[in-house]
Amino acid sequence: MSPKFTPYLLAAPLIAFIAVFTYVPIVTSLDLSFRSWNFMSPERPFVGFDNYWRLLNSASFWNSLTVTSVFAVISVPLRLALALAIASYLKRDALPSRLLRGAIFLPTVTSTVSIAVVFSWVFSTDYGMANGLLVNLGLGRIPWLQDPKLALLVVIFINTWKQLGYDVIIYIAALQAVPQELYDAAAIDGGKRSQVFRRITVPLIMPTTYFLLVISVIEAFQVFTIINVMTRGGPAGATDMVVNLLYRTGFVLFDIGAGSALAVLLFILLIALALLKARIVGQRIHYEA
Amino acid sequence: MRHDLALKSGLALLAGIIFLSPVLYSIWMSFQTASSYYQGGFVATLDNYWRVISEYNFARYLFNSLLVSGLVTLAGLAFATMAAFAFARFDFKGRDLLFGLTVATLMIPSHITLIPNYLTLASAGLLDSYAGLILPAISNGFAAFFLRQYMRGIPRALDEAAYMDGATPLQVLWRVIVPISRPAIFSMGLYIFLAEWNNYIWPLVAVGKEDLYTLQLGLARLYSINPGEGLIDWPLVMAASTLTILPVLLGFVLVERHLVRGITMGAVK
Repeated sequence: MSPKFTPYLLAAPLIAFIAVFTYVPIVTSLDLSFRSWNFMSPERPFVGFDNYWRLLNSASFWNSLTVTSVFAVISVPLRLALALAIASYLKRDALPSRLLRGAIFLPTVTSTVSIAVVFSWVFSTDYGMANGLLVNLGLGRIPWLQDPKLALLVVIFINTWKQLGYDVIIYIAALQAVPQELYDAAAIDGGKRSQVFRRITVPLIMPTTYFLLVISVIEAFQVFTIINVMTRGGPAGATDMVVNLLYRTGFVLFDIGAGSALAVLLFILLIALALLKARIVGQRIHYEA
Repeated sequence: MRHDLALKSGLALLAGIIFLSPVLYSIWMSFQTASSYYQGGFVATLDNYWRVISEYNFARYLFNSLLVSGLVTLAGLAFATMAAFAFARFDFKGRDLLFGLTVATLMIPSHITLIPNYLTLASAGLLDSYAGLILPAISNGFAAFFLRQYMRGIPRALDEAAYMDGATPLQVLWRVIVPISRPAIFSMGLYIFLAEWNNYIWPLVAVGKEDLYTLQLGLARLYSINPGEGLIDWPLVMAASTLTILPVLLGFVLVERHLVRGITMGAVK
């Protein structure tokens, strides 16, 4: 091959796949969001912003936004606080902390479907582990997944359990990067442990906290598997998060126009968050250099 | 001092076991019969595994998962490595634009491509086929970005020496760059394999034929066959679940360090 074309040929397969399966679909989604179509009919009439108005006027759209926001508002701070506490405890590279780190990290790489199935058992009313513990303590059984108020909390608990390991690993890396001299200096000045944590550790790992904050919010808006396996959005829409609504609109109700409009809205929101993340990561590299 | 370490390790192990107890218990449960589980007593049996494999076709699902994840990983690594080499070592018109488009895919949520990719594969007649499961997952912008960063750290003098000896670019890539980049390629390979192994939403929309189910799909369907409270054969379901996490569990023990390195290299720094 001619040397001039070499780099193009090398990059071509990747670029071709990205074009066909990522960039063309974005344009297609935008186009479909302005059309009325149900997979079946040969025509796909243009209907302007009709799908968007229908979404903005539908209770299930606002419900899914509310549910997803509640999910994010509870689960994100919970994850970060737990992860930071655990990471400060496990940051040393000794055998005990490596063992525990391994255990906490394992769910992060494990199949979400398996985890959803296992926790369906844990939270099942009659035979589950959670109610088993309650009964042993002399308390009554709780219908975890049948109660609209509890179901979302259960999903938050499971998601936190699964994702915690990732946050812990990232926090450990950040904590290990804090220069030891700062701690030494603080020790000479007689700083108390809580003071050192508040005045030195927390500010220095702030970029990592922002980073984790943004990616966990992005993740919250993409939660699907746990919902699809465990609750299908129920009871009474209590766990009907955005992607579950997207899946139902597109692939259960075959309302392609509204499904695409929802995808476009989700896309805009997540791109905004991703740009925020890129800025934070950019700052961080600058800051470390 | 040594006693102290042993004690601390023991406590850490205990905390880890408590944290993982639902999963550990589900594995334990998979070796019981339904009657011993519901009525008490313990009978160790492999029965559930035989039923899951023979009655419920999980041998086929296991094969499908291995095939799909394996091919996605191989093709994904090959394309990402080639593109990374082009971006790291060549000056060509449009390079920054193409690299930009590659990196930008990191920000693009996969859900926007769900409906269009379904339509693309439907019109190509590839729904309900291995190709339909594999093709949309092959391009991996993150792997290309990550490998390019790694390759930029390799001294150019090595390439130049090879070119002087009359090597072609492909030979330089294969004989010089790839062997040196092996740790990074290995980490990315694990990362791609795991993500594909655990993929659920795409097989859910792209596959209807039971013969093409991956383990994730097979497990979800097996569980939802009888979701009524008390009707579920939990030990059977847990055998299917254990089969689904087992390969990852075994791999995890062997390569945990590489996984952690891949993840922190991606996020921190």
